[in-house]
Amino acid sequence: MTGLTRAVDRAVGWLLVVLMGIAVLNVLWQVFTRFVLANPSGFTDELARYLLIWIGLLGASYAAGRNMHLAIDLLPAKLTGRSRWYLNLVIEASVFLFALAVLVVGGINLVRLTLTLGQTSAALHVPLGYVYLVLPLSGVLMMFFAVAAVFRHHAEWRGSDAIAGRSTEPH
Amino acid sequence: MEWLGVVVLGGSIAVLLALGVPVAFSIGISTVLTMLTSIKMGPAVTTMAQRIATGLDSFTLLAIPFFILAGQLMNRGGIARRLIEFAKALLGGLPGGLAHVNILAAMLFAAISGSSVATASAVGSIMGPRMEEEGYERSFGAAVNITAATTGLIIPPSNVLIVFSLASGGVSITALFLAGYVPGILVGLSLMVVAAVIAVRRKYPVGERTSGREIVRRFLAALPSLFMLVVVMGGIVSGIFTATEAAAVAVLYALILALVYREITLDDLPQILLGTSATTAVVLLLVGTSIGMSWILAYENIPQTVSLALVGLTDSKILILLIINVILLAVGVFMDITPAILIFTPIFLPITAQLGVDPTHFGIIMVLNLCIGICTPPVGTVLFVGVGVAGTTITRVLRPLLPLYLAMVAALLVVTYVPGLALWLPRLFGAQ
Repeated sequence: MTGLTRAVDRAVGWLLVVLMGIAVLNVLWQVFTRFVLANPSGFTDELARYLLIWIGLLGASYAAGRNMHLAIDLLPAKLTGRSRWYLNLVIEASVFLFALAVLVVGGINLVRLTLTLGQTSAALHVPLGYVYLVLPLSGVLMMFFAVAAVFRHHAEWRGSDAIAGRSTEPH
Repeated sequence: MEWLGVVVLGGSIAVLLALGVPVAFSIGISTVLTMLTSIKMGPAVTTMAQRIATGLDSFTLLAIPFFILAGQLMNRGGIARRLIEFAKALLGGLPGGLAHVNILAAMLFAAISGSSVATASAVGSIMGPRMEEEGYERSFGAAVNITAATTGLIIPPSNVLIVFSLASGGVSITALFLAGYVPGILVGLSLMVVAAVIAVRRKYPVGERTSGREIVRRFLAALPSLFMLVVVMGGIVSGIFTATEAAAVAVLYALILALVYREITLDDLPQILLGTSATTAVVLLLVGTSIGMSWILAYENIPQTVSLALVGLTDSKILILLIINVILLAVGVFMDITPAILIFTPIFLPITAQLGVDPTHFGIIMVLNLCIGICTPPVGTVLFVGVGVAGTTITRVLRPLLPLYLAMVAALLVVTYVPGLALWLPRLFGAQ
C-alpha cells in the first residue's frame, strides 16, 4: 500500500473499532437497564440499528480496500501478464461503477429525499438523512480503494513483465 | 413476468461472477441492470441504495457481528483446547479416534458459537497438527475439520438461521435454533461413520481409553466454556434475551474467559474488533445487495413463476422437495450461503408452505443443504478457512472430501423427509 492508501485504511479501521465497541456496549447497556435498573433505555434499539448500517457500509469499503470480498477467482488465477491486468481492470471498474452509481449517486438522492421529507428518528431525533450519509461516504472510499488497486495491479503487471523479460535473457 | 428482465438478470450475474467480480458487487450490479429494463437510471440507483440501507436497519442482524466477535474471542485457543480435551476423553478410544474428536469438538464449539468459520479455524488449528503427528494424512484431517465445522451453522446459535428468519419474514429464531440441534447432531454422526470406515481401512491409530475420573476432570475443565450454551440458548429459549442481546452477553462472557485463560490482553481488543467489523461487513454487503435482488425478483414476479412451473411439473411433495434440494445444492456451489438464503427463501418458502412443509423445518433443510456448498469450490468460505489453517490446498483436500459430502447429503435427505427430527425440540418447548 502507498502512504495515502495506508493512511485512509488506518483511519477507516479506527473508526470501525470505535463503532463496533460502542455497538457492543450499547446492547449490554440495554440488557443492564432492563434487568438491573428495571428501567429499559429508550434509545439503545435505534442506536444499535444505525450503528449496524455504519459498520456494514464503512466495513464494506474497508474490506474492499483489503480485497476481502468473496469472489470466484477461477478465471483470474488462470491468466497472467497482460490479460490478467485487463481482467483486473474490468473487476475494479465494476466495483468503482457500483460504488459511484448506487452508493454515491443513489445514496445522495436518498439523503436528500429523507432530509427534504424531514424524517427524523423516533428516539434520538436524528435526521435520518445523516444516518444515510454513510452510503456516499463509503461509496467514495470504495472508489478510492478501487483506483488504488488499479495502480497496484498495473505495478504488479509491469513487475512480473520485468522478471519474465530478465529470465528470457541469454546467460 | 418480463422475459427481458430475467435474461438480463441471469446473464449479467453469470458473466460478472465468472469474471471474478466479488459476489456482493455482482449481485448489486446485475440487480441495477435488471431494474433498468423497467425503470429509469435515477430511481433505479436510489431504490437500490434504499434497499441496502433499510435492509441493514435491523436490530436482529446485529446478532451477526456479535456472534462473529464472540467466535473471534473464543478461537484464540483456550476454549477450543478445553473442548477438544473433553471430546478426546470421550471418543479418543474409537478407531480413527482423533477424527471423531475433531468432529465432536467442532459440534461442541458449534453449540457455543454462531459461525462455522470460527469453528473451522478454532478446532482445525489445534487438531490438524495433532492428527498429522499420529500419522493421519493432512488432507484427510482438513476434510474432516471442514465438514464438521458446518455444524457451527446448524447447531445453534447460528448466524445463517438468523438470516433465514429475516428472509422468511419472521419465522421464530427460537424455533429455528431449537430445530437445529437434532439435524446438527445427525450431520456429526454421519461424518463420524464415514471417518470410522476410512480410519479402519487406512489403519489409523486407535487412541487410549480414558478412565471415568479423567473424563469427569476434563468435563469440569470444559464446563466454564460449555456454560456459554446455558447463557446464550437458555437466555433465548426462556425468552429472557433476544438473539442479539444473547450474542452481546456471549461477547462479554467470551471476553472474560479469554482474559482469565490469558489468551488475550486488552491491547489485542482493537485488532479483534477491527477483524470482526471487516468480516461482518463482507456478510452485511451481501445481505444488502441480496435484499435488493430479492426485491427485483418479486417485482418481476419470479417467485410465482417458479412456483407455477414446479407445481406444474409434479404435485408430489417428495419430488418437489427433491427438486428444490437439487437446485439449492447447485446454487450453493456457486454462491455463498447468506445471499443464497436471502434470494431463494422468498422463492421456495411459499411453495413448500403450500405443500404443508413447516417453515421452521424448511429453514433447517435450506441451511443444511447450503452448508454443503460452503465446503465446495469455487465459493466455499469454510473450505477456504479449513484449507488455510491446515496448510494444504483445495486440490488435495477435494478427494477426501467426496465421501464426507455424501454423508452430508445422506443426512440432508433424512432431515428433509423426516420432519420430526427438526421439529421435535421446537414442539417440545412450544416454540413456533
